[in-house]
Amino acid sequence: MTEQLYAWLDQRIDLSGLQHFIAEKGVPVHRYKVWYYMGGITLFLVGVQVFTGILLLLYYRPSSEEAFESVKFIVSQVPFGWLIRNIHSWSANLLIFMAFVHLFSTLFLRSYRKPRELTWVSGVLLLFVMMAFGFSGYLLPWNELSFFATKVGTGIAGAVPGVGHFMLRFLRGGDDVTGATLTRFYGLHVAILPAFTTLILLVHLLLIQRQGMSVPPSVERREKAGEKTPQMPFFPHYVLHDLMWWYVALAVLAALALVFPWELGKKADAFAPVPAGIRPEWYFLAMFQVLKLLPAHILGLEGERLGVVGFGLAATVLLLLPFLDRHAAEGRSSRLVTVAGVAALVYMVVFTIYGYVAA
Amino acid sequence: MTPPIARAFLVLTLMFLGGIARAEAQQSAPTTGCQTCHAGLQPDRLAAPARAFALTDVHRDHGFTCVDCHGGDPTATDKAAAKAASTGFRGKPTGAQIIGVCGRCHSDATLMRKYAPKQRVDQVAEYATSVHGQRLATGDSRVATCVSCHGAHGVRLVSDAQSPVYPVNVATTCTKCHADPEHMKGYTVAGGAPLPTNQLEQYKTSVHYRALAERNDLSAPTCNDCHGNHGAAPPGVDAIANVCGTCHTVFASKFALSAHSQVFDRGCVECHSNHAIAQPTDEMLGTSQGALCVTCHADGDDGFKASSSMRAGIDKLKTALGHSQEQVALVENRGIEMGDQTLMLREASNHLTLARTEMHTFNPKAVETVITDGMSLTAKVDDAAQAGEREVSYRRRGLAVSLAFIMVVVVALRLKIRSLEQRG
Repeated sequence: MTEQLYAWLDQRIDLSGLQHFIAEKGVPVHRYKVWYYMGGITLFLVGVQVFTGILLLLYYRPSSEEAFESVKFIVSQVPFGWLIRNIHSWSANLLIFMAFVHLFSTLFLRSYRKPRELTWVSGVLLLFVMMAFGFSGYLLPWNELSFFATKVGTGIAGAVPGVGHFMLRFLRGGDDVTGATLTRFYGLHVAILPAFTTLILLVHLLLIQRQGMSVPPSVERREKAGEKTPQMPFFPHYVLHDLMWWYVALAVLAALALVFPWELGKKADAFAPVPAGIRPEWYFLAMFQVLKLLPAHILGLEGERLGVVGFGLAATVLLLLPFLDRHAAEGRSSRLVTVAGVAALVYMVVFTIYGYVAA
Repeated sequence: MTPPIARAFLVLTLMFLGGIARAEAQQSAPTTGCQTCHAGLQPDRLAAPARAFALTDVHRDHGFTCVDCHGGDPTATDKAAAKAASTGFRGKPTGAQIIGVCGRCHSDATLMRKYAPKQRVDQVAEYATSVHGQRLATGDSRVATCVSCHGAHGVRLVSDAQSPVYPVNVATTCTKCHADPEHMKGYTVAGGAPLPTNQLEQYKTSVHYRALAERNDLSAPTCNDCHGNHGAAPPGVDAIANVCGTCHTVFASKFALSAHSQVFDRGCVECHSNHAIAQPTDEMLGTSQGALCVTCHADGDDGFKASSSMRAGIDKLKTALGHSQEQVALVENRGIEMGDQTLMLREASNHLTLARTEMHTFNPKAVETVITDGMSLTAKVDDAAQAGEREVSYRRRGLAVSLAFIMVVVVALRLKIRSLEQRG
């Protein structure tokens, strides 16, 4: 029966060709191979987000009158609703954390060098989309903290030169954060961003499968010198490794969801005084803290505006890194990129901690 | 726009603005002949009124001048002519004259409608009923008149924070005289004892002063809210509950139902005092040390039993409320949603406030009814908190089982990978 089904499918979609590709595919084995699994864990967490997000959609109601109540209903009345919401919230944070780990490991191993420039670009775009997911999803429970944090966050978007005011109104659906903002963020979170993710993720995965795993420049130099890099079969060896790491991620996720349940807080009230300790999610905190510290005016220009432009430039440099780093294309490591990468990492860690301590 | 036209426009604009500024200056500080002479007079007591009147004065702002109160001819350049009897010059009014001078306008409803249509015009009539007014009528010139509180020159609106009769400043203004033992010498209370001069000292320890001076709550009472302003007098013993009840309406209505309202000579003051009203506490009720009820009631009498029972009920609800709040916080910290229970606790807390209000009827049954309702709410919250605790245990067991299962799978995968690697 199984053989008949296989034969039927093989005649139509050339399964044996795919089987051959998988059987032949190998993954290099060297001292840095552990970093290969970071992308897999990130992919697993995307799957968790899609699964738990769809379950939450069954009960969530996207209006300023009902959003908070519906989340409250999910966590208090729906069987295992508390678990789904906690996992969705924790998985979102772990996903962005793992995406950063994946990004920095790719950066330090120079995996973005020719011919993998587009894999890097699609990966960075995915990180930006994931951060947009985080920003839009933060508002959806419509609680006090998320309401005021969104007000601050969209206000920062308003500082973008030229298009700032348009962006602010576009994001908020008006001049202020209201029910219209919630509806927009909901649409962004469950339709627009998933569509972008599907498209970019497919390109990213296709490029990885097409080009195979990159080896670090040091390993590549040894290969050029005639040394053979050991390989492990993609299936089943690498897939089983991936699966094992996914289970570890699942265990961490379950423990976090239960030991540190996600707070619901108080329902948003536009007329309430701004509560103390308003801050964005941790992955925006380093940027937020810098904008807070900038003086009102720098060289006659508005400080916040200048900061936003600075971050925009940094994001552009990150996106175009493979095309800017000429050394990597030649199989050499640029000291400048290493120093900039370490500086960015140190800045993110220090300013995120500072943001929490200062709040 | 060509340059000559632009220049002409600029000149015209400046002339226009200059004209407005001059007109405003003339309107805000009318200068009379009186001020011209008095501003340079010695000693300073003769110059000070002209100076104060020129700076800020609500009357001056409305176009009134010196002659409206003092009479005289401000156009005369000679002192004798300016103060001639034919000009109606009356000099510095004192005592009852002040009441007459101020009342001439302030009791005239037609005139006052032009300047302050909402202002009352019965100040003089009220003043006549006050202790100040009654003593003035007997010839006592040391009592307060209009200018003692409002000032004579530089009079400000009551709503002006610098006015001596602005709520926050009233106590200081009244005690300029009432805290001065020398000034108050000879004045007595109804029983013949000397009138105390420590009211401000006592008031500053009160809950009312803290609200007014520290929290800037202008609705908090100061001297005139209980004693009246123009008709200032100590509230009669039979009026104290009404005076306090102006703000504490519910307490006053409950107290009116009680047996104590017939017995207490000084109403609310019997337990809460007058000027030094402290934050009420539950310890004031009951029969334990420091409670006020035992001042009059002895062990075994009905009042003793009633106060003991009411205090026990309030303590019971307070303890239950504290316990339930702790339980809810504990369960909430472990991730169980307790929003409905938090609302229920708020309602139970309202019942505690209601019980504290209801005790002013001094009827243990009425208090008990409120306490029972509050206790039924805390019992429901406790049940929900216990259910929450069970849910937490269930979740923890579930986590332990899940982690154990995941661990087994991870170990199995690791062993499988190793066997595959050994096989090459």
